Amino acid sequence: MLQVRNGEVEMLGVLFDRYQAPLFNFYSKMTQDRTVSEDLVQEVFLRILRYRQTYRPGTTFRTWMYQIARNTRLDQVRKVRPESTLASEPNAPFSLSDSAQHQQEAALLQRALMHLPEDKREILILSRFQELQYDEIARLLGCEVGAVKVRVHRALRQLREIFQQLESGAPGTDLHRGSGDSIPPTRRVQ
Amino acid sequence: MNCEQIAELLPDYLQGSLAREQAHQVEQHCEGCATCAQDVVMWKKLALLPTDQPSPDSRARFDAMLHAYPTTSTDRSGRLPRRALFGTIAAPWAFFDWLRSPLGAVAWSTALLILGVFIGTRVHVGSVQAPPNEIAAMHAELTSMRQLVALSLLQQQSASERLQGVSWSGLEAHLDPQIQSALLHTLRYDGSVDVRLAALDALSRHASQPQVRKGIGDALQEQQSPLVQVALIDQLAEWRDPDAAQRLRNFQQTPNLNPAVRQRAEWAISKLQ
Repeated sequence: MLQVRNGEVEMLGVLFDRYQAPLFNFYSKMTQDRTVSEDLVQEVFLRILRYRQTYRPGTTFRTWMYQIARNTRLDQVRKVRPESTLASEPNAPFSLSDSAQHQQEAALLQRALMHLPEDKREILILSRFQELQYDEIARLLGCEVGAVKVRVHRALRQLREIFQQLESGAPGTDLHRGSGDSIPPTRRVQ
Repeated sequence: MNCEQIAELLPDYLQGSLAREQAHQVEQHCEGCATCAQDVVMWKKLALLPTDQPSPDSRARFDAMLHAYPTTSTDRSGRLPRRALFGTIAAPWAFFDWLRSPLGAVAWSTALLILGVFIGTRVHVGSVQAPPNEIAAMHAELTSMRQLVALSLLQQQSASERLQGVSWSGLEAHLDPQIQSALLHTLRYDGSVDVRLAALDALSRHASQPQVRKGIGDALQEQQSPLVQVALIDQLAEWRDPDAAQRLRNFQQTPNLNPAVRQRAEWAISKLQ
């Protein structure tokens, strides 16, 4: 990243190859939308290029990148909120080799995840799928490591409760899906 | 260990960063606690969620963005490749980078404000020192323009415009001969009573001019409107001209005179004597 910062912008391609898949997965789990996720990934790398001078040597690139990714997502939520509909079900791609039960459970999991408030969904995805350590997440969210652990545990417990409700198949189950309002304040990178 | 103690260890246990002994304690607790055990199961179950791959054209989009960036961007990064090309020659530009920070923005905004105040003060002083003859010339030009407007308005068909013309003519302290003549003409011959009364009002402010006094006295004989006649009688009584009483007596002899006007003339004559 230092090379990119010093003007060798072609080196950003190396970072793109390394991080586009994890970043895409972060977004696809957050949004359940492939197209939106791909657009967001492109936007993140455009912002990295645009704001590369704000990258400070000595900081972890991954943490800095996720800060930009969070801000990009926040901006996207603000932009689409008026048109967002809760009725649309996520499009869930599955490999054909998955067993039927696994497919069903994964679909339920995805629905449960989307019913989780945005901040809880985010912290769970960051800790479970993005291979970020708690101290990295703490730096990213600007809070204490202990607070991150508590929030991860609470998010997991709420997810389990939602999952169990969905699994029990109560048709009238009133689950409040998370919204952008629950996103905690964050330090802006750019 | 109770659930609260386990809750502190559980996040690290889930990420596999717990020491073996503590991990064992968590597992032992979970064997007897369904709630905590379900949390662990849930964490593991999340592995069911598929890992998606971005589409193959994602890299092509990125390359296109990267290729287009230096020419389309408007921020500082557009200069960076040049900096790389010129090496240390372009390095002095880096000195100005701080101007882009919020502190820099405040600094140059303040500098611009001070510069603006300085220039404003200079311009103001300059205007005070303008030659007096220039101001006089401008004033004369403005006066002649007002007169032109007044004369032009007095010729209009519309009574309200002629009224405007009368009020424009009254803006100057000194009555121009042309304006005076136009106002006297209006007082005598204008079709509208209102305009004639306004012209009388405008002329009454210039009592020091004998021509105005004479013109008003002459107008009395030609007036048909009782309103204007009464206004003229009042004006003559107020000025107390030596020949005013004689004029009023002559006026009283006019046949078919309105009784109220005749009465007013008598009152004025008694006042003048």
